Amino acid sequence: MFTGRVRKGEGSGVFSPEGLIIPALMVAFWYMATRGGTALLPSPEQVLRVLASPGDDIASCGSLLWNIFVSLARVVVGLLAGILIGTPVGFLMGAHRFSRRLLFLITEMARPLSPLALLPFSIIVFRDTTLTKLLGLTQLRYSRHLFNEIQLGMVFILLWGAVFPIILDTMHGVRGIRKRHLEVARVSGAGRWFTFLHVMIPASLPDILSGYRMAVGRCWMVIIAAEMLPGTNSGIGYLLRYSYQISRYDVMAACVIVIALVGALFAKGLADMGEARLLLRAEER
Amino acid sequence: MGAGMVIRGVEKHFREKESELHALGPFSLTVQPGEFLCLLGPTGCGKTTLLRILAGLETPSSGSVSFTGSGSRGRIGYVFQEGALFPWLTARDNVAFPLRAEGASWGEARARAEAVLSDVGLSGFEGSFPHQLSGGMRQRVALARGMVSNPDILLLDEPFSSLDTRMSHLLQEKMRELAGGLSATVVFVTHNIEEAVFLGHRICVMGPRPGRIVRDETISLKGERNRLSAEFTELLLSFRRTFEEQVAPV
Ligand SMILES: Nc1ncnc2c1ncn2[C@@H]1O[C@H](COP(=O)(O)OP(=O)(O)OP(=O)(O)O)[C@@H](O)[C@H]1O
Ligand SMILES: [Mg+2]
Repeated sequence: MFTGRVRKGEGSGVFSPEGLIIPALMVAFWYMATRGGTALLPSPEQVLRVLASPGDDIASCGSLLWNIFVSLARVVVGLLAGILIGTPVGFLMGAHRFSRRLLFLITEMARPLSPLALLPFSIIVFRDTTLTKLLGLTQLRYSRHLFNEIQLGMVFILLWGAVFPIILDTMHGVRGIRKRHLEVARVSGAGRWFTFLHVMIPASLPDILSGYRMAVGRCWMVIIAAEMLPGTNSGIGYLLRYSYQISRYDVMAACVIVIALVGALFAKGLADMGEARLLLRAEER
Repeated sequence: MGAGMVIRGVEKHFREKESELHALGPFSLTVQPGEFLCLLGPTGCGKTTLLRILAGLETPSSGSVSFTGSGSRGRIGYVFQEGALFPWLTARDNVAFPLRAEGASWGEARARAEAVLSDVGLSGFEGSFPHQLSGGMRQRVALARGMVSNPDILLLDEPFSSLDTRMSHLLQEKMRELAGGLSATVVFVTHNIEEAVFLGHRICVMGPRPGRIVRDETISLKGERNRLSAEFTELLLSFRRTFEEQVAPV
């Protein structure tokens, strides 16, 4: 358990109370600087007030909670699309030399292209098509449905952000499968499907999961930026920009805090998920 | 019943870009069904290559291998030189793997796997992952996985090479005991002369690369093989002489 000890020990993202000192000082400074209410920036109390009632409507944009929820829902849909497309493509590219040769160039060229650069095109192509329309849920009772807020244009750029790390890591995972392990399956008389399910998938899973992890982080970055651009009027990114326009700096600060928190939770949750698997392989001898 | 093998003039060349390596042969040998054959040879002489050809993992550059008895290769048990356990499976599931691959249910396969694990002295470690086991334990798991499906042909590639003397003696005795209960034709590869003399019903000595047979002898030690008996020592010496004179002449 050598790796385990190093990882769980000092200096590897573990939470320790000392880490709170600097944030506490910063909040104190913030509090001092904004006392009296004359400053341009909102005071901690004002921001806290917004955070304390997350269900209240803000400037007819919906509540904080609703907007977080909308952003998360978009990320989930975009990510699922990325996983559903990226995993099989990555597998194919890993297992099949011709597919790799066929697709490697375009994935390498498309990967560095920022998803945000595609937003205008995406809006032109998908217009205002939402999940509601796509699924044919047009009755009145769906008019305030979450699906109304999931524009395909948004999903597309999230897919773009998610799919390349997934493809790449899956490909590396599959290429890294040890030949011996496949041979064990072969001499055992395992069929293709059995080998795929019981050797190829578990052998490449650590890499596949790390691709997913990377994709989640990127999606969260992309969605916030995308919501600040034209093309939507909901989501935490939109609320952030709108509160700037109407000079509600307390809401603005609250949005920033929420975005940071959600991002950190994502990172933490996924790290825990991937860890066990990665350790298992690190300890392979 | 195990399958017999007729190996006729098998050769293997490995072709790299410009160079070509003659790894094996021409190698000819007839193995009787149910025989326990020890293949003794110096490092790099092509033992692994030959086993891989017998298992169908490699095709010979020339020559052929045919199977007597059922006429096909049948079930193969292969214990790889490096063990090659699946790090994501427990000892139990590693051993159950060949049975699962043949379509047995998890329940059936696991029950049988546990029985074989206890045969190799690993009761109590069924739930351990390979990285939690010692080198010797991992080799025993690999051995159990090779035997679990009651193969027609059991191919073992230096399965005890990384063990200390005591442990390898222990496992050699275990191997003898278990082989008696199997119907498999066994090809046991080793570069350890004593191991070969202790285990084999027949010993084939291979010369240096490209490996071919320099001595082929059926062993007729009576009863229990005792490492301290005069007979055993004499046989050992005689093979050692072959090794010095024909395999690695100074
Ligand atoms: N896939 C391969 N490509 C190229 N050369 C190979 C390959 N496999 C084996 N060889 C070469 O063939 C020769 C025989 O190798 P092999 O692994 O069969 O030896 P061995 O008798 O099993 O040796 P050891 O006792 O060290 O395991 C070696 O010189 C090796 O370098
Ligand atoms: Mg070898």
